[in-house]
Amino acid sequence: MQVAITWLRNILFAEIVQGLKLTFKHIFVKEITDLYPHEKRVLPAGYRGVIAHLRYDDGTEKCVGCALCEAACPSHCITVVSAEDPHIPQRRFAKQYILDVTKCVFCGFCVQACPVDALASSPEYEMATGNKRELMMDKEAMLSLGDRYFPDRAKRPPYTEDRFTFFNKLKTSAFPKSHQTVPPSHKAFS
Amino acid sequence: MDLMFYLVAVILTIAAVMGVVLLHVAYITYFERKILGDMQDRMGPMEVGFHGLLQPIADGLKLFFKEDIIPTGANKIIFTAAPILVLVPALIGFAVIPFGRDSFTIGPITLHPIITDVNIGILYILAFASLGAYGVLLGGWASNSKYSLLGGLRSAAQVISYELPLGLALVGPILLSGSLSMVNMTSAQSGGALHWFILVQPVAFFIYVISAIAETNRLPFDLPEAESELVAGFFTEYSGMRFAFFFLAEYANMILTSCVATVVFLGGWHAPHPALEFIPPIFWFLGKVYFFLFFYIWIRATLPRLRFDQLMAFCWKIMLPLGLANILITAIVFYFIKNN
Repeated sequence: MQVAITWLRNILFAEIVQGLKLTFKHIFVKEITDLYPHEKRVLPAGYRGVIAHLRYDDGTEKCVGCALCEAACPSHCITVVSAEDPHIPQRRFAKQYILDVTKCVFCGFCVQACPVDALASSPEYEMATGNKRELMMDKEAMLSLGDRYFPDRAKRPPYTEDRFTFFNKLKTSAFPKSHQTVPPSHKAFS
Repeated sequence: MDLMFYLVAVILTIAAVMGVVLLHVAYITYFERKILGDMQDRMGPMEVGFHGLLQPIADGLKLFFKEDIIPTGANKIIFTAAPILVLVPALIGFAVIPFGRDSFTIGPITLHPIITDVNIGILYILAFASLGAYGVLLGGWASNSKYSLLGGLRSAAQVISYELPLGLALVGPILLSGSLSMVNMTSAQSGGALHWFILVQPVAFFIYVISAIAETNRLPFDLPEAESELVAGFFTEYSGMRFAFFFLAEYANMILTSCVATVVFLGGWHAPHPALEFIPPIFWFLGKVYFFLFFYIWIRATLPRLRFDQLMAFCWKIMLPLGLANILITAIVFYFIKNN
């Protein structure tokens, strides 16, 4: 009996009919693809795109040129040249900051390593270009990327705001409130 | 004078049929991409025109303006002639397909819905379909490339093998209608769906459909152009308009085999019920042809490619004996019915 049923199924192409039924059903399934350049996906809050530099609300850049991001980077795509501010003694800044996007693996370790929260992962992912040198991003390009995606603190993804980096925590616990050397605009982070 | 009007009518009919067929060939590519997209939960072409409706025109323009490359070491004459050798047999078969019932008159010119009613119409189509294999084989050989040669060889083997069950499947309906003319075959099936040959010849119908898919080198029998093994098979080295000729020929062949299946098994332009005769016959014909074309694409979206030995074994060990048995039984039964 079983043999007869198998034989009947074989000569009636039962399995092919089953497959045809499935493909026919999928005509009525809604497309799962987007019309990409015209409609784009909504990215989740923690999306890790190209790294951007952030500013304080008064417009000064946050980066202090400590090069911890360079140390944390697993693909060696960050180069930091640090220098002292000629006008303010002991105040350091990044004279040169180069992010090689062609090498970047978008892991976000630099964002986590930054002691002053100067870096953030922007949702920028359309980096295709005809000129490879455009992908060697300097600080100005990264700052403008930050200005575009995070113009003020409210626009920043929640994880950048709620996270307390090691040094910032250290700052709050080590110094009593009255002796804090952090300028007023820093308070939100510490 | 009569001769001149007759000639004008013939030329007009040929021009109309060629124009309509080539337009359909162009839009079958769009139809195929859309349906494949739908079946794979994609959208298919959407960019050119409303829902990509102008895509075939854009594709045609692109192919037309592309550089025409003839590889070094290729046999130039045969390389140039091969696409034409493939395209002409594919288009010439439409000469004997009856598309409708009514001929209409404009002044002194009478246009018929068929170019010419050859009394061996089906043999004519089969003969020219076999000629198409020469173009494929010669094109594959003349390209001076191993992929082309292998594709051409495979195609020749496949087309020659599957022509046998294809021809044998058509013998049953020929026996029943008692004629090789496409017009007589259509009129033998008049009077509703119960008179269609698909009901008395279901085995022949299945053999025909499977062989037709293999004959036109479509999936799951597209071994001659298996892109994962042979790049593109026999037209690997072709570009521009010559490539477009091969492409057009493939789709024209699809439409031709669908037309033959419609005429031979589904009653041609006849409505499935006499009460539905008020719809013009050409629409019934087109509807049936598009049903087959949809089936081609549907099968393509469903099944993976066969292995070459499976293909050959299926042809020679299953299709051919089945076709022969079908002829034998049809002939015996028909003989006794006719003599009683």
